[in-house]
Amino acid sequence: MRLSVEGLTLCYGDRVVVDAISCDIHEGEMVAIVGPNGSGKSTLLRGMSRLHRPTAGRVLLGGRDIHGMGAREVARSLAILPQSPDAGLDLTVRELVWRGRYPHQGILQRASRGDFEAVEFALAAADLHELAPRTVGSLSGGERQRAWIALALAQQPRVLLLDEPTSFLDVQHQIEVMHLLRRLNHEGMTVVAVLHDLVLAGRFADRVMAISHGRIAFDGRPQDVLEPHGLERVFSVPMMVLTDPESGLPIPLPRPDPLLCPVAHDADGGVRRPA
Amino acid sequence: MSGMALPTTAARLPRRTVTGPGRPVAVISVSVAVLAALGFFSLMYGAVNLSPAETWRGLTSSSDVFTRNVVWEIRYPRVVDGMLVGVALAVSGTLLQGVTRNPLADPTILGVTAAAALASSILLVIDPNVAQWAVVIASVVGGLVGAGILFVIAWRGAVSPVRLALAGIALSALFGAIIVGLVSTSSAFLQTNLGFLAGGLYSANWAKLQATLPYLGFGVLAAWAYSGHLNALALGDDIAAGLGVLTDRTRLAVLGICGVLTGAAVALAGIVGFVGLVSPHLARVSVGQDNRLLIPVAALYGAILVTTADLVARLIVRPSEVPMGIFTGIVGAPFLLYLVRFKS
Repeated sequence: MRLSVEGLTLCYGDRVVVDAISCDIHEGEMVAIVGPNGSGKSTLLRGMSRLHRPTAGRVLLGGRDIHGMGAREVARSLAILPQSPDAGLDLTVRELVWRGRYPHQGILQRASRGDFEAVEFALAAADLHELAPRTVGSLSGGERQRAWIALALAQQPRVLLLDEPTSFLDVQHQIEVMHLLRRLNHEGMTVVAVLHDLVLAGRFADRVMAISHGRIAFDGRPQDVLEPHGLERVFSVPMMVLTDPESGLPIPLPRPDPLLCPVAHDADGGVRRPA
Repeated sequence: MSGMALPTTAARLPRRTVTGPGRPVAVISVSVAVLAALGFFSLMYGAVNLSPAETWRGLTSSSDVFTRNVVWEIRYPRVVDGMLVGVALAVSGTLLQGVTRNPLADPTILGVTAAAALASSILLVIDPNVAQWAVVIASVVGGLVGAGILFVIAWRGAVSPVRLALAGIALSALFGAIIVGLVSTSSAFLQTNLGFLAGGLYSANWAKLQATLPYLGFGVLAAWAYSGHLNALALGDDIAAGLGVLTDRTRLAVLGICGVLTGAAVALAGIVGFVGLVSPHLARVSVGQDNRLLIPVAALYGAILVTTADLVARLIVRPSEVPMGIFTGIVGAPFLLYLVRFKS
């Protein structure tokens, strides 16, 4: 299901945060949105769902304006996971995931066979079966993130939007979450994630879109767009891009400042700085 | 001593936090039984004590005029009143706690009760002989105004639980002061008429009950119908909106339902504090977080609480009685302190 953004302008009060952005997210793509803090990338993601009403422009989901569709109808095709939610800590993981069925259920939420299957699928996909009886509050950061993703999966969306799903997670949990997203994507789900980590973006996304000052700075395959010039313009830091010898994928890194970084070590382990 | 071999892997069962399907059924059955028993005691005991047989006769036949009068005309409406007040306040409290995500929320603490009481006392001051149904409408309108004020204060849930409670307490104090002013400057006749505001059921009668029933019925059914929305809203506004809940509209509707229920409760029994605070918490402990279950169970607990408080209020200084609100306060106020100290 295609998600088309057409001249989308989003404001907080008088401040324009997203400035007439247009882009197409194609069915089955995995897109990473990157950009510095305050660039408008999270707001853009909220605007792609119904969380932020546009000042101008529109967002089409499968050709229909999401603000012309019912809220539940949108929620049956598109799920959004905002940044680090901190509610629902008293619920068990299973109860939490069940609440993802809201857009599919009528009044009083009588459970159908389809509901059961969707919840079981979501728990299995996020590898949560063993954690299902635990309360969300008792989980580690990575487990909790998986529980929230499972909530979104229980919605059975065709398009999944995530805001920084890997922040505050250690390396193992970051990779776990990214592998989960990649697996879902292989099964046909369109995934759009705001990512802080350029290395993860370059490694896991089909397409990287950089936002700077509310506009798209670059947008394309990681091999094509993750290059030092473009990154420097967006992030205002000297950058270099290495190539992963195993996958050939780009690894963007900030360039070390020779005056501030230890560049070599003495024989006795001390740090020697360039003169 | 050769110790018995300890099991190498302790059979540690995961702590069960999910309530099994049998649990809610048990909770509801026991509550209904307790409530029925309390109701029957309330019919038996009072200024005059009746035997169970006499009480039963008073309920079912009109052969004995005295018992018929005591049981059917005086005590029965009062018992039903009490239960309905408990239901209305408990459901109202559950809704408020859900919609503000605030464990301290309660119609009395947040000033909704005082707004309803103020509206009905203003009407009584204007026309002391006004019809029962008009007082009920005034009370419901007052409740809606109180809920509206809350909607403005708690807009998008951006205030902390304690601050919201403080704002509510300030509103309660303001409305309460105006009520006291009205009562103390009014005639003796009006003073007895306004006496119900202290929280008591002694003015219960069939006419009043009939006038409030439509509001109570609407409120409880509407509350239950919103339980799914509340379940989603409990996950935070963003998640709820992502699930397809129209969060602002839901908050407004649910607060409106609170206003109606609270107004109806105030019309029946004046200001009865803390039932809306305590009942949802107890219900959560027994059946968990799901509002579909939470609302009916809290309603039952509220009914039990008010019926018990009224029974105690009638028995403690027989043949006179004290306002029942005192007893819900004695249970509820320490509970509030506990929540403030340990839960938020």
